[in-house]
Amino acid sequence: MLLHAMQTSCIYRRRRPRRWIQAALVWVLGTCALSSVPAWADPSKSAPALTAPQPLVQVPATYPDLALGSRKEARVVVLATVATSGEVTAVEVSESAGEPFDGAALAAARAWRFAPAQSDGKPIESQVQIPFLFHAPTPAPEPPAPPVTPPVTPAGDPPKESGAVATEAAAQAGRSSTPIAPPADVEAADAAGSTPEPGHGKASFSTTVTGKRLPPASRGAADFHVEVGALSAVPRKNASEVLKLVPGILLTNDGSEAHADQVFLRGFDAREGQDIEFSVGGVPINESGNLHGNGYSDTHFILPELVAALRVIEGPFDPRQGNYAVAGSADYELGLSQRGIVGKFSAGNFGTFRALLLWGPRGAREGTFAAVELYETAGFGQNRDGRRATVMAQYEGKSGAHLYRITAQAYIASFHSAGVLREDDVRSGRLGFFDTYDPKQGADTGRYSLSGLLESRVASLLVRNQVYAIARPMRLRENFTGFLLDTQEPTQSLHAQRGDLIDLQSMAGTLGARGFARLSADILHQTQEIEVGYFARGDLVGNSQHRLEAATGNPYATESDLESRLGDIGLYVDFNLRPYRYIALRGGVRADLFTYDVLDKCAVQSVAHPSRQDPPGDASCLSQQDFGKYREPIQRSTTTGSAVMPRASLILGPLWGISAAISYGQGVRSIDPYYITQDAKTPFASAQSIDAGLSFSRRIGPIDLSLRTTFFQTRVDRDLIFSQTAGRNLLSNGTTRIGSASAARVTGSFFDMSTNLTYVHATFDDTGLLIPYVPDWVFRFDGSLFGELPWQKLRIRGKAFRGTLATGFTYVSPRPLPQGERSNPIAVMDLNATVGIWLFEVGVVATNLFDVQYRLGEYNYASDFGSQPFPTLVPMRHFSAGAPRQILFSFSVQLGGGR
Amino acid sequence: MKNASQWHAAVFVLACAAGCGDTTGGARVGFAVAAAGPSDATGSALSYISALGYQVTITRARLYIGALYLNQTVPTSGAQETGCIRPGIYVAQVTSSLSVDALSPQAQPFPTRGEGIASEAKAGELWLTGGDVQRIEDNTVIVDAAGTAQSGAQIYPFEARLTIGRNRLIPSMDPAYPGTNPICKQRIVSLIPTDLTPQEGGTLLVRIDPRRWFDTVDFSLVPKVQDSPALYRFSNGNDNPADLSLFNNGVRARTGAYSFSWQPAM
Repeated sequence: MLLHAMQTSCIYRRRRPRRWIQAALVWVLGTCALSSVPAWADPSKSAPALTAPQPLVQVPATYPDLALGSRKEARVVVLATVATSGEVTAVEVSESAGEPFDGAALAAARAWRFAPAQSDGKPIESQVQIPFLFHAPTPAPEPPAPPVTPPVTPAGDPPKESGAVATEAAAQAGRSSTPIAPPADVEAADAAGSTPEPGHGKASFSTTVTGKRLPPASRGAADFHVEVGALSAVPRKNASEVLKLVPGILLTNDGSEAHADQVFLRGFDAREGQDIEFSVGGVPINESGNLHGNGYSDTHFILPELVAALRVIEGPFDPRQGNYAVAGSADYELGLSQRGIVGKFSAGNFGTFRALLLWGPRGAREGTFAAVELYETAGFGQNRDGRRATVMAQYEGKSGAHLYRITAQAYIASFHSAGVLREDDVRSGRLGFFDTYDPKQGADTGRYSLSGLLESRVASLLVRNQVYAIARPMRLRENFTGFLLDTQEPTQSLHAQRGDLIDLQSMAGTLGARGFARLSADILHQTQEIEVGYFARGDLVGNSQHRLEAATGNPYATESDLESRLGDIGLYVDFNLRPYRYIALRGGVRADLFTYDVLDKCAVQSVAHPSRQDPPGDASCLSQQDFGKYREPIQRSTTTGSAVMPRASLILGPLWGISAAISYGQGVRSIDPYYITQDAKTPFASAQSIDAGLSFSRRIGPIDLSLRTTFFQTRVDRDLIFSQTAGRNLLSNGTTRIGSASAARVTGSFFDMSTNLTYVHATFDDTGLLIPYVPDWVFRFDGSLFGELPWQKLRIRGKAFRGTLATGFTYVSPRPLPQGERSNPIAVMDLNATVGIWLFEVGVVATNLFDVQYRLGEYNYASDFGSQPFPTLVPMRHFSAGAPRQILFSFSVQLGGGR
Repeated sequence: MKNASQWHAAVFVLACAAGCGDTTGGARVGFAVAAAGPSDATGSALSYISALGYQVTITRARLYIGALYLNQTVPTSGAQETGCIRPGIYVAQVTSSLSVDALSPQAQPFPTRGEGIASEAKAGELWLTGGDVQRIEDNTVIVDAAGTAQSGAQIYPFEARLTIGRNRLIPSMDPAYPGTNPICKQRIVSLIPTDLTPQEGGTLLVRIDPRRWFDTVDFSLVPKVQDSPALYRFSNGNDNPADLSLFNNGVRARTGAYSFSWQPAM
């Protein structure tokens, strides 16, 4: 049986330096923090060597008493998960002979001990297949033999494949002459492990080193490839919160759980993703042409349990990054390490329940899974009820030199939202902290996608192609200003303020493909690579935005009605050159051509000299021009724009575990179709970033320790600033950000800790004033303790309870607000605790553990919600309430488990 | 919680050390607001000769101010007033009402403080309404004035009790522009030129000069409602030229009748 091994890590470790040098350099790093990601300066970039797990203790299975009468022979294959400690942490039957043979085999397999598999000398988790062959015992069976400890047979370097490493490690072991009695012979196999040959006193097994695809070559200190690992236990409501594992992330949400989170990344108010290129498994999430924000990215359709890894590049430093990669990019890698079926039901306060079903077919790759989620909540405070359903399924297989993957996803959600409150109304007691002005606010969204990927390797050429199709309906209803914007126009009938509730509808269809060809060659005794890739995407988007009358909910004005056909084709070339083992030069250039074909179906909204015979009245979209001359209310505009974006990174090291890098890159955000005019040059927002950083990564005893710090500067020529009155982003002037980010991760056999800290100074170029809403300081800590509970009395039939205690803590310093003010700080802690045994696990999750009453978002602008006798027209403080403490209890059961 | 607050404070101090002394510019401010008659008023009657030659003596002059606002918008001669909430940024507001004795030079405080931003204001607005500025029906007496006007031997004892409601509604004559004259436009005295920047702790003073109200009024056109003693009463409608003159050229005059000034905090 040929089983693959995909490498888990690109950590490259060299000989240990003298400790005083280490200490001195770490001290010099100063604020250098522990990194939550593998080191990014691997000297060879090629796949690191894998070492198969080696059996240290083999325990034979006992021929079951219940089968003695039949004296039948049986064969059971057990799939065992070997932890980094060498212990078998999970077992499952992959080839059954029925009970009681399966039980006997599982019991024996649990007692095996291994020298763990290694990647570049670092222990990694692996899976081992152990075949047991049961022979009927002799009439006078001997007592079972004690465990044997065979010598360890080192494995050679595994073959390399597809940018990852596939390996089959079959080790000869069990050379003890100790008889196995009653002998359930451990099946012997040849090195390939594919031809079982019954025999005695020999054991053979095949292994699968579990893990992920080798990530693309790092682009320096700003390139974070995060394996979620044990930190998946940290409470996270959605996939966006996984982003907090990288520095500088703040998430807010003035909408609802069906509304994209507002993402702040390293000094960027990226709004709902407009300045970050989001993707999942290579499939774009950003919605081109979305009227709420060009590049709007709602990640709520991603189940956080399926996020195996996350790659965030904080800046435009990789030629693969495309449109919207102004602040950077984030790519979610899906996977489910748990095999079998897991059912989980959670319920808690605010009428919240969640049902989750995860399925990882046994024997299939981690990239093969299916998951279903149902969620409903009454929500805290007023008007925060909602419900959603999510289905995600993916099949990943390999055939010869071809890897293929098919992913399907469907998601629907409907939530109400409370929106923002005026601080003065809350302080005066007119409104409660969790109340709402307008109960008509909310969102109804969906997302349906299908993608396929094919990757092939021919000698030193790796070729990958991916196609995808996405359908995305969305409706948002938001009211930021109350009764302020419905001004009386001379052509309108007399009216009072009817309400500012925005009703935005969007329906987007996307077809796209991306791919690359990567050629590798050994030159100068180093692996050199060149990659040529493409990105193609077409979007057909229909958007409209109306204002709804507060009293009736009827639309009284059309603000926009756009139908957009958008195209984006990008080409890039990327070099990964290593002239010397400690020097890597990575980079290239990317060019994108954007096309816009925008039909404005409400192009005429006012006329200076309207017809007296046919006055426009209250209609929003007019069919006349001056003096009543007829015209269609539509206007089509087409234009194109192109951008060429060079990107490069120079990486030195690692020496003594320390690497240094400097990166430069340019990125663009395509223009909102709202601003398109015929043949006018497309005004891109263009960003230039430079980043320099240091990292340190080593294994110190049983602990993996990594530190990273980086300094950056980014300049954007046309930034986006959110306008509460328009309900959308508006173009602003140039901005510059200077700052530093540090990250850290410490991982051991029973703990996993990650922390990061970011400081940024973001200013407008013309005035030198701070950019509002961007936090100066963001601190985040994630920690998880896990393992078997140590208390003997808690064991049941010798089986220990396993437990997890995980916490996440976020601190955001007071953010600058317009009018020279600062927001309140945010400090919130979440906690998750689970206890499990056998197939079962119970847990409790507390978000906002200390029930801190905090303001998630704070803004200064003018609004009038009618809370005072006369209109309130000057900028006032508004906020969206952070969630109070929520406690969810969960129960889960795992069937056919193992990894 | 005390420890948490201290911890927050410590972190904030650290943050400030790294640059939070920078700002987004401007500031939100709170300030006192008062209204008064002209500075040369004595607290009793005001006498003057109007532009039409009347010797006018005002013995009662009260103005009901619903709210007042300051705007960054620069008044433009001939600019068409459209909506009641103007474009541009409002820098100050007082959303409480006050009935002002316009014969008193003493500052009469509004019941609530004003609020705004520390930004230069170029135009002021007085909202002369008893409630919703868009509601047509409103019986609040906005102007309550009395006095005498003399032209030669003719004496006109007068009084004016003006409301702004349906009586001031101006129907649109052009079907293409049915919304040209919303009632709020009758109630808002807008684009009163000013030049001040609100600051925290200061006082915004609105001075009202009732002499300007009657400056262009031809009292001979005011209806006589009583013979003995004689009394002329403004009709409180748009159907009388004297009333229109009082209302449009006097009470709603952009210049002369009202002025804003700023008194810094002491």
